[in-house]
Parts: sequence; structure tokens; C-alpha cells
Amino acid sequence: MPPKGKAAQKPKANDPPPAQPQTQQPPATQATTSPTTPTTIAARSAAFASESRPFESPTTSKPTSISSLPRDAQATWTALRFARSPASRNRLPLKVQREYWKLINESSLPIRALRKNYDYGAAGSYDLATYEAWREKRTLLTCLEVQSRAFRERREREREGVRDISGDKVVVTGEEMDEERERRKEMAGLKRELYGVLGGQLEGDPEWDDVVPIAQEEPEGALATISYPGEYAEAMGYLRAVMIKKEYSARCLRLTETIIEMNPAHYTMWLYRAAILFAMKLPIPDEIEWLNEVSLEHLKNYQIWHHRHLLVDNYYPTIANDAEAVKAFGASEIAFLKQILAEDTKNYHVWSYRSYLVEKLGIWDVPEELSSIEGMINDDVRNNSAWSHRFFLIFSNPAHSTKGVAATERDPAVPAALVDREVAYSQEKIALAPQNQSPWNYLRGVLVKGGRKLGSVEDFVQGFVHELGTESEDVTSSHALDLLAEIYAEKGDKSQAELCLRRLAEKWDRIRSGYWEWRKKCLDTP
Amino acid sequence: MSVRIKASQRRVRAVFQPKTRTTPTAPSSTSPSTSSTPPIPTTQEKSKRQSSKMQRMGRTVDSGPVSVPDLFCQKPVIRDALETPTSVTQDETVESMVPNLNARAPRLRYNDLGVPRLERQKHVNFLQKTMGPFPSQYLHADASRPWYLYWSLAGLTMLGEDVSSYRERLVETARAMQNDTGGFGGGGKQTPHLATTYAIVLSLALVGGEEAYEAIDRRAMWKWLCALKQPDGGFQVSVGGEEDVRGAYCASVIITLLNIPLDLTTDSPAWTPDGRANLLSGLGDYVRRCQTYEGGISGQPNAEAHGAYAFCALGCLALIGDPREVVPRYLDIPRLIAWLSSRQYAPEGGFSGRTNKLVDGCYSHWVGGCFPLIEACLGPIDDAPSAQPRQDGQTATTPSIDLPAAPETLFSREGLVRYILGCCQNPEKGGLRDKPGKGPDPYHSCYVLAGLSSAQHQWQLASRGEDEPSAAIDDPVWLVLRHLDDVRVYEQEDVVRAIHPVYAIPHKHQQDMRSYFLAKEGF
Repeated sequence: MPPKGKAAQKPKANDPPPAQPQTQQPPATQATTSPTTPTTIAARSAAFASESRPFESPTTSKPTSISSLPRDAQATWTALRFARSPASRNRLPLKVQREYWKLINESSLPIRALRKNYDYGAAGSYDLATYEAWREKRTLLTCLEVQSRAFRERREREREGVRDISGDKVVVTGEEMDEERERRKEMAGLKRELYGVLGGQLEGDPEWDDVVPIAQEEPEGALATISYPGEYAEAMGYLRAVMIKKEYSARCLRLTETIIEMNPAHYTMWLYRAAILFAMKLPIPDEIEWLNEVSLEHLKNYQIWHHRHLLVDNYYPTIANDAEAVKAFGASEIAFLKQILAEDTKNYHVWSYRSYLVEKLGIWDVPEELSSIEGMINDDVRNNSAWSHRFFLIFSNPAHSTKGVAATERDPAVPAALVDREVAYSQEKIALAPQNQSPWNYLRGVLVKGGRKLGSVEDFVQGFVHELGTESEDVTSSHALDLLAEIYAEKGDKSQAELCLRRLAEKWDRIRSGYWEWRKKCLDTP
Repeated sequence: MSVRIKASQRRVRAVFQPKTRTTPTAPSSTSPSTSSTPPIPTTQEKSKRQSSKMQRMGRTVDSGPVSVPDLFCQKPVIRDALETPTSVTQDETVESMVPNLNARAPRLRYNDLGVPRLERQKHVNFLQKTMGPFPSQYLHADASRPWYLYWSLAGLTMLGEDVSSYRERLVETARAMQNDTGGFGGGGKQTPHLATTYAIVLSLALVGGEEAYEAIDRRAMWKWLCALKQPDGGFQVSVGGEEDVRGAYCASVIITLLNIPLDLTTDSPAWTPDGRANLLSGLGDYVRRCQTYEGGISGQPNAEAHGAYAFCALGCLALIGDPREVVPRYLDIPRLIAWLSSRQYAPEGGFSGRTNKLVDGCYSHWVGGCFPLIEACLGPIDDAPSAQPRQDGQTATTPSIDLPAAPETLFSREGLVRYILGCCQNPEKGGLRDKPGKGPDPYHSCYVLAGLSSAQHQWQLASRGEDEPSAAIDDPVWLVLRHLDDVRVYEQEDVVRAIHPVYAIPHKHQQDMRSYFLAKEGF
């Protein structure tokens, strides 16, 4: 279909002919005819209109006064006035009327004046052939609309259980549905071509015919309004309608997917989606598979992870008695978590989900879990999320921990060998980069959990602090100096503890001088 | 630390008179780049400022017209050789900030201490536009529109703007977001959520007025909160939604601000037949389970310590009773302070959210805002509350705080101010940001300004008098003062309005709303 600016684009006489003369554009006949022949449909209408108004100036549209006309034209003028004003017509005697009609017949004057400036909209600039084609499409659309209306009526009858003339119930076949779907597509295409209207996806889907969308109503002057893209506004309109009815169906599930694709942060959508899944008892593994893709696309989104949490809460009880199934499920989850953490190694919500999963499935002792964390620490010894998860994995394991003991408290259930192992592990990692706080926090945490004195690692800590308080003082880890201050305080060596804290404030960690100051004050408090 | 004040004086006072060490400075004349008259600090004044600086910070590094202490522009003294993705990103980040740290970022107006002016008017202009209308690219914000309102209104208020002119429009907007079953959603007909409800309630407090307060359906709110309350003490953020510390904080704010009755409805998941459980029961224990071995707080038990949750945890505890008593009971304070303090980095001066993560302007509030709360909890209590049954059903024990009072300050206020003014301002279109190279947004604008407020003020807790109207929860009285004991590196005109350390809106707005609902009979 030619765009609206057609007339302006027509080739000029001395332009070279278009390289592709067969470009389905209307023949150039109009362009080459005499300039008085109208080239667009709007111009033709204007010409007709002006023809029908012989006593008007075509440019100013002002009626011509009778006195300025020649004699014979004056008679025609009067005849026309008579023909076009029924009120005056009836006041004349019949004989005079007959005279006038005769005159009009002879001069073949148009009885009615055509409307000026007839509005064709965009089509006004089309040339005549193009306009014909346009009109044909419009007719086609009208026909399709009639058929579509008939279809909708049939569906309505089907829903109401109406019987047709032969006494059978009205049934809309799948074939008819497909036909209608095609028809709607064709109609949407025609509407776009004819009027530039973008038809909604759902409006065009006969599956949604029974739903009346609820538009978002914003009060006058509302703040933080968003100019929604048409597609989103339409989908949300249908969603509101089905949510109010608490409809849980396959089409609603698809609708949530459409909206989530456009706006994954829409928590209402995720909660509704979960409700649909559980109400319809749909297979959870299928949903997880779909979710994996979505998760990789939207790494920073966190609604996704709560959704997964809900899925596992729902799914686990169905496999809880089957150790093999739990193991297999755990393994597939861990495999996916590895994949997603490779993309974003410190993703808070993924790690939170991971600790939830371990606890839920009870997969504390699965070797792959600990080894995968070790792998991540090997990749980046500064990945504190991995360190955190390791602490959880070891010290929250119900096999050797006491429920209800705070993370910052001693737990008598932790075996000594485990404490030894973890102390050694963190020390090994500290040696790689002594100014890395993650393993230092870990080490301290392990000592507290195991009920060990901080002084038990004094030799190790001293290795990072050389000749403190002297000219040749050297410190390779401010965290070591921090821990050393605590070790001295634990031993009751206040002056050495003070020295550590003073040197931290003066040189080795000056930004925290206020804190070191407070720590000094703490030395005086038993 | 605690100050007893008479009921007649029990209005939050902002004490702004200059103290001995602060010398009034000429306003914008200290900005060398824009002013036609060059900055002429008197030699006396300059040497005074410099000498106190030299004493405290050691060397200063001369970077052209201004001097920045080496602590805030040089690499840290201890650096490991091993490179890992974390250290590479950290080094790149500091590298990208070099012009800002050296007081050489274009279009910022620096004083002679290398601290830029607060571009107040530009930020106001920016925040006036972040309440919409938004183009379709803001589709992702469709479920968090109330947040945009709160961030923008709170930011404007801290900048000294009067936002009451938004009242009518806000009330209309909020009404359309309110759910018949209680609470506010991210938009019309969305599921109500604690975070969006928190944002709307605070926004209504900011615009103030009966019309705004009455827009809230408190009876429905109460029922909805009961439906969110979980047997383990925490709150789900929405029915069927996640349970985390953020939800606990938002719920506590809503309950106290609106003076919601604490009784549970019988269909609440947390309801017990003995009728002892209430909206606040078990909240302290829930928060306690979120403290990690590092000392910080995680979003839910067993996760990593994170700055935003530290604030939510402390804020929640500070609301369910006297913070001096409640906070130490549920949290290991020395470990928490150690962790909070580790969040401040040099040379950046700003805070990070987790161990080995980058600094980000928003943690100026999430972490920076923890210090006023913590500082108020330290030190001896003059008037120990008597043992009496408390609101959450447990019997109060005599507080056992044997921790010394905080020194002048627990964190480097200068560092934070330098980071905020030097790195977080967008000097072109206004608005505040995460760090140089990032775009400004209302979220960062709000929390960076809140952090600036924390750095510029200090808070003290006064005890409650006996003639206070009876409320579901006793009100600890927070007194706010300008922080003046440190060397002030920013200009006098660049002080932002003080906020309540828990509600993150100015005291007056918080008090007006709470008093309104305290005085109200029934719903």
C-alpha cells in the first residue's frame, strides 16, 4: 500500500524513469495528463465540488452576486436557487416551478451542491488507482468483520448451550477457530494498512473473546505515571480481568509469561503465576526448565528466585520420600546454580536461594556442593559470597551443629577436627593474599564457633606483623593487626593491644581511626 | 549519652549555632572555578583549617589549587600482589575515580579543601522530574512507582524543599494504589506489598496533613499486616511473598507510624490460642537469626552479611522498644560495629555493601545510617528502665551494656562527605549516583542525601517522660544535633535537613503523623 505522501512522490517529467518500473505503484498516467486533471482523490473531489457550485468562486468559495452575472446566467442562477431551497420552491405557483425545472433540465445543472473539503484522511493524497485499491481493501475488511461477528455470535451460542435449527448444540470446531484466527490476522493487517491502527495481540485472539479487559485507571494528575507501550497496556488489561475472577488456566499462564518478558520485576505477576501452577497442578520440573532460561536473561532480577523458592517448597514434599529423586533434583539445581554463578559470581539472591535449597533438601554432605564452593574460592579467593556459603554449609549442618545457636556464638556440637580443618583452610587462603578480609573473617568466625581462644592462632597472625612500634615496623595485613589486638586483649596485655590499635589508626588503616579509637576504649571495659 | 528532657522541651531540636571550631566561611566565593572573585580565605583561617587537618591526617597532597589529604587520594598502604577478578574490579574502580578523588572532576565547584559544593538547585530540578510522567522505557518501574515518589519527595525534603504542594496529587495517586484488603501495591490493582506500602506511608508523611493521613485505610492495613506475620516472628513482604529483614523493618515502620494495634486477628498465621503472640512477637529473635559470623546482617537467615539489611535490622530493633535495651539483647554489637566499620574504604571514603565489594553511594545511608543508631546504643544508661512486661510479651531484663560510649565518631565523616560530594554528584543534569561513570537516579539521590545527613548530624536518645500519650509502643525520643566536633570540610550552606535515624524522613514529618494517629480513637 502506498504511503500517504504518494502525490508528492510522483516522478516529474524530466526525471529519469524509476529503475524498477514494475514497483506495483499505480501507472503514471495521471501524472502525465494535463495539469487540470485532478491527480489525487481529494483533488478530484474538490473538482467535483467546485463543478457543482457554478456560482461560487473556486478560490474564495464566495457566492457570486446575481447583479454581476450576464443575463442568461442570471436565469440559471435563479433556477438553481429555486431547486436547492425546498422552502422557497413550495411558495411558487406550479407554473413557475415547471419553468424552472425545464431550465435546469436543459442546462444539466447538478441539483445538489457537493460538500467541499471532503475528508479522506490519509487516503486523500492517493491517486485514483491507488484509492480504488484502498477502497477494495476496505470492503474486504468490512466483509471479514461481518464474518468475524458471525463467529463470535456462534461462540456465544455455544457457551450458552443454544441449539441450532436441527436441534443439535452449537459447536465451534477447531477448524473454525483456526479460520477465525487467520481471519483476525488478516483483519489486523488490513487495519494497520488502512488506518495505521496497531491491533492488540489478545484482542485478535479468539481465545480471549470472553474477557473484557480492565483498563488501568489513573486519577487526574496522578504522579509517577508511565506511558505504557500498547502491548503491555493490553496484556495488563486482560490480566486484571482474569485475576479478579481468580482464573487459573493455561491461557493465564501464557499471559503471565508475556508480561514477565516485558517486565520481569512485576512481583504480582510472579505470585499469580505460582498460584496458577499450583492450582492446575502443573509439573514443576517443566516450570523450572522455563525459569532457567528466564533467569539467565535477567540476572539481576530477584522475583525469579522467590518464585523458584515457592516451586521447591511445593515440589519437595512430592519427592521427599524418594532419596534418589531428591539427590537427582539437588544435583540438577546445583548444576544450574553453578552455571548462573559463573555469570555473576556474587549474585546475592542466587546465593540466598542456594542456602535455602541446601537446607530444604538436606544436601549438606553432597560432595559436589562443597567442592563447587572450593572451586569458586580458588577462582577468586576474595569472593566473600562463596566464603559465606562455606561457613553456612559447615556450621549449620544439623549433623554437627546446635539449632538456635547464633552465628557469632560458640557451638559445642562442632567437632574439634572440623575446626582444625577450617582453621587450616582459611590460613592457607590468607597466605595467598594477606590483605583479603574474607578468610580473616572466616577464621575468626571458625575460632568463635569452635570455642577456641583467638590466641590459638597467635603464631600465624604474628607472621604478618613485624617489629611493631619500631622504626622498621612492617605490616602485611591490617586484619592481622586487628586480630592481634584482640589476642593481646584476650591475654590481658592491654599495652600491646593499645599499640596495635594505635598503629592501625595512625598508619595501617587510617580511614577507620574512629573505630580503632573506640576499640581502645573497650580495653578498659572488662 | 542519654539526656533527660522535660515534656515541654520534648520537641526534637536541631541545634545549628556555630561552635568554637567552625568558622563561618564566605559562601560560594570558595569555589575557585566559577566565582569571579577568587577565594581569599584569611591566612589565619586557612592555616587554622590546614593545621588541624595536618594533625589529624598526616600529609596532604598538593593537587593544584586545593589540597586533598593523601588518605583520600592515594592507594592504600597495604596492597596484595595476587590479582583476582575482585581486586581487578576494585583497582579499576579506584582508577576511574582518580579525577574525583584529586578534586579535579570537571564542572564541580571545589573549596580549598578539595570538597565540591552541593549542587542543591540541580538536584532539586532533577528530583522534581523523577515523579513522572515517565516515557515507556520506565516500564520496568511499573511495580515500584511508590518508591519513585518516596525517593523523590524524601530527597527534595532533605534538600530543604517544601513538598506539601504535592499533597493532593499524591493522595489521589495513593488511593488508586490502595487495596481493599489492606496495603498498597506498586500500582492500581497490584498485590499489596510491604515495600511499596512503606514507600507510600512515608510519602504521605512527607506531604503531611489530615487529608494525606486519612487516605490510609488503617483497619484494612492492620488485617493485612496480621496476614503477613509469620510464626517465626518475621513478615512476608506480600501474601505468599518472601520473608526477609526488609519486610520486618517496613512492617515495624508502618505499625509504629500509624499506631496500628498489635493484637493479631485469629486468622493470622502467627496467631496462638493463648493470645500472647502479637504483631511484634519474635521479631527480635528473627533479626538475631540474620546476624552472620562476620557480624553483619543478612536478608534472611544463613545468607551473606549485607549493608542494606544491617540498616533494616537495626531500624526494626530500634522500633520495638528502647534501642539501648533491645539492640544489645538481640545482636552482637562489637562484631556488628567491626563489620560496619570495615565497609568504609580508603581512598574512596564511601561505603561498600559487603566484604570485598565496591563502594556505592547508596550505602552512605544503608551503612552510614547504622552509625547513629549504634552510637546511640553505646555507653551507660542514666535511667535504666524498670523491669516490666514489654509489648512483645517478654519480660524486660536490666540492660547489660558494658560497652564504652562511642568516641567523637565511629566512622570517618570526612571520608563519607568527600565521597558523596566529590563522587556521587552528577554535575551536569543534577541528581546523585552510585559512583562516577554511573547515571543519577532517584534511588541513589535519596539515599546519598540521607547519608550526607548522617555525616552532618549526630543523634542522641532521650528518655520518654511519663506524661506521654499512651501508645502501642513507647517512643524513644531522638535528639538531633549538628555534628560539629570534627573538622568541617563542607560549606555551611551545604548542610542538608536532618532525618529521623529510623524513619529516614525529617523528625517533624514523622512526629506529625504519629501524633495524629496516637490522638485518634479507634480506626
